[in-house]
Amino acid sequence: MKTVFVNPERCIGCKQCQIACAVEHSASKTLFQAVAEGRKPRPRVLVAPGISLDTSYPSKCRHCDPAPCMSVCPTGAISRDRDLDIVYVDPDKCIACAMCAMVCPFDVITFYPSHEAVLDRPVAIKCDHCIDRQKEGQIPACVEACKVGALIFGDINELVKKARTELAKVVSVGVGGTVDEIEAETVRLPANVEAWRGLGRAITQVGREEA
Amino acid sequence: MAVLDNNAVGRSVDPATQSMLRIAEKQGVETVWDRLEAQQPQCGYGELGLCCRHCNMGPCRIDPFDDTGPQKGVCGATADTLVARGLLRAIAAGASAHSDHGRDIAHTFLLTAKGEAGGYEIKDEAKLMALADEYGIDTDGRATNDVALDLAHAVHDEFGKQGGPIRFTRRAPAARVALWESLGVDPRGVDREIVECMHRTHVGVDHDYTHIILHGLRTSISDGWGGSMIATELSDVLFGTPEPVEAMSNLGVLKEKEVNIIAHGHEPTLSEMIVAASQDPELVELAKEKGAEGINVVGMCCTGNEILMRHGIPIAGNFLQQELAVVTGAVEAVIVDVQCIMPALADLSSCYHTEMISTSPKAKFPGATHIEFNEGEAFEIAKTIVRRAVENYPNRKPERVNIPDEQMACVVGFSVEAIVGALGGTLDPLLDAIKSGAIRGIAGVVGCNNPKVRHDYGHVKLVEELIANNVLVVNTGCNAIACAKAGLLLPEAAEQAGEGLRSVCEALGIPPVLHMGSCVDISRILVACAAIAKALGVDISDLPVAGAAPEWMSEKAVSIGTYVVSSGIFTVLGTVPQVLGSPNVTSLLTDGAEGVVGATFAVEPDPEKAAALMLKRIDEKRAGLGL
Repeated sequence: MKTVFVNPERCIGCKQCQIACAVEHSASKTLFQAVAEGRKPRPRVLVAPGISLDTSYPSKCRHCDPAPCMSVCPTGAISRDRDLDIVYVDPDKCIACAMCAMVCPFDVITFYPSHEAVLDRPVAIKCDHCIDRQKEGQIPACVEACKVGALIFGDINELVKKARTELAKVVSVGVGGTVDEIEAETVRLPANVEAWRGLGRAITQVGREEA
Repeated sequence: MAVLDNNAVGRSVDPATQSMLRIAEKQGVETVWDRLEAQQPQCGYGELGLCCRHCNMGPCRIDPFDDTGPQKGVCGATADTLVARGLLRAIAAGASAHSDHGRDIAHTFLLTAKGEAGGYEIKDEAKLMALADEYGIDTDGRATNDVALDLAHAVHDEFGKQGGPIRFTRRAPAARVALWESLGVDPRGVDREIVECMHRTHVGVDHDYTHIILHGLRTSISDGWGGSMIATELSDVLFGTPEPVEAMSNLGVLKEKEVNIIAHGHEPTLSEMIVAASQDPELVELAKEKGAEGINVVGMCCTGNEILMRHGIPIAGNFLQQELAVVTGAVEAVIVDVQCIMPALADLSSCYHTEMISTSPKAKFPGATHIEFNEGEAFEIAKTIVRRAVENYPNRKPERVNIPDEQMACVVGFSVEAIVGALGGTLDPLLDAIKSGAIRGIAGVVGCNNPKVRHDYGHVKLVEELIANNVLVVNTGCNAIACAKAGLLLPEAAEQAGEGLRSVCEALGIPPVLHMGSCVDISRILVACAAIAKALGVDISDLPVAGAAPEWMSEKAVSIGTYVVSSGIFTVLGTVPQVLGSPNVTSLLTDGAEGVVGATFAVEPDPEKAAALMLKRIDEKRAGLGL
């Protein structure tokens, strides 16, 4: 099963994924024309801030199976592409009742007019894992735009295995490994990025305990 | 917990600001804090200095994690180059703002000397003559205006000079000037250095980060010891050298039954005339006809500091309070010129009866009324503007007026001349107090507000820590206003100082925190440091002094920090400059610079820890001097 895997510690909040997503889901599929389109293209991946400055998380549809949104949709507007494991919306069947948004565990379904619909009215907007691009052998636009490795596209078990291996190396320190041996491989964040996050945390906290 | 506190107490330590924030929220009015919240999360490439839009092969960005994404721009520029170029452009913008302000004052001075300025006169003839002497202009038996004209031309030439030196840079100790010359950073002219910043950062020019940053030092010196110093010195000649004066601060200075006019921005040319026009009997009479008891001009930000220290005009607040002043519903006009004026004020004013009036030929604001100012008809234009405010008074809706009670007295106006005066005509009592240890050292605390930091917390806490540890604080800009509101600019604040500083302040009747003026007046701090260094026969980098900008946000602050460090003064920043994307540049600024200019930057958001860093530095320097 292929999915977009998120490494939140690598997200630096630039929102390039949001822009790439909106452009990919525009009528023109080009940035300069997309910004002028009547039914404004909307991003399906949304970068939200964390609890301190300089932290963020790109939130998007996880394409659950079974998908709660699909189960509650009264008009059958939401369906699943079995080949690619993608949950997607037919905007012309959508009645904008928002049942899907209410049951979505990740709160990533929004309602705006879509250029893909016949009528100019709000419909459910959600990630379709760039189904058109995937059918042409391309990866989702958000992953392509992410230059820091916060969004990775691949087989879920392979990606999880990689993360698990990293964790195992860290754990090995506690059971007899030496720090020197594993440090180079397991320290994921460069010192300057750590410093930047640390200062963001410090600025967020300064003066608060007295407020 | 949200990223940023969205309650009033979390956003500011100032009670007047807190109460206005509550009113803004109740009225559904958006402020700078809401807009910062809406910007979260902010782009990490930008925060780290790793994006470049200097050419159209780009925009480019460099992956800070160095293993997945691109490590070079399309042209091949590295993180070091991108960060250094970004920093240089920020310095160029900051130096431009200060120096163009200086140019405007020089222009007003020239017109005044020619007798072509509408309402300006030379108020400090002694300073004029001293400056003329410094420039080698003959003053013997010559008419004031003739000397002024020669000085005006000589000062004008500093901007377009090609080969240097800028005269005021020679106020620095000889060792410092020699160091600048040996490093190749002695500025050749105010405008030239800024133009060269833009040239060097164009695609395909300067790529060596050390080389780029050295030019940043040169450009910043042309600001601190050039454009800014010109602004300060000629403002003193035209409007008077500040002397200690008592005044009031904070939003409570707005008056319920008077026409309230806020002068906001930076240059004193306009605000001086607004003050004069507000005292015009005909306009005062008109105000009474309109049902007001008088005309109340108050300042905001640095133009406010200028009229505060020269006339005791009340100051309504610092940078983050500009919108809240309008939210009081009691402001007839916000008159603005240049710098640190939020464009949001225009939209906000439309929610109230307030009229925003822009005046500078350089700065227009969509939604504001533009009444262009020129020095030739200065007083007449000021009267037109004040009349507009007076005529707006009947539109005020009394039920929407919410003026907070808070106001605080302050003693301001400590120019170098005034400090020497307070010391009895010589620096010796100050030097003796430093030598004896009664005064441990001197700290310059300056800079803006930034909504990322709890408003005024960084400023006030840091200054309190410093004075408690016997460090005499000199300040300007938004820090000075924060300290005024917190009661730290009163002689009684000496009670909060350590024993040594307290005894010195009480003996002289001065506050432990000395308000030296607006942000261009950081040049006064440089002059004071140079004078102390010369008196002790050492360089500025040998002095037990330190600088800080706890809540900085503007590009001007980047230039200021750079010229302060270039002058040999260790400087602590409370918010993070956009350089961390390059460990090399970061290391140069926070470590390597020590071996080059004898000072470095540090970044420390916590004001108590920042104070500790400054004290450590001061103690090291004391030890170096054998104190």
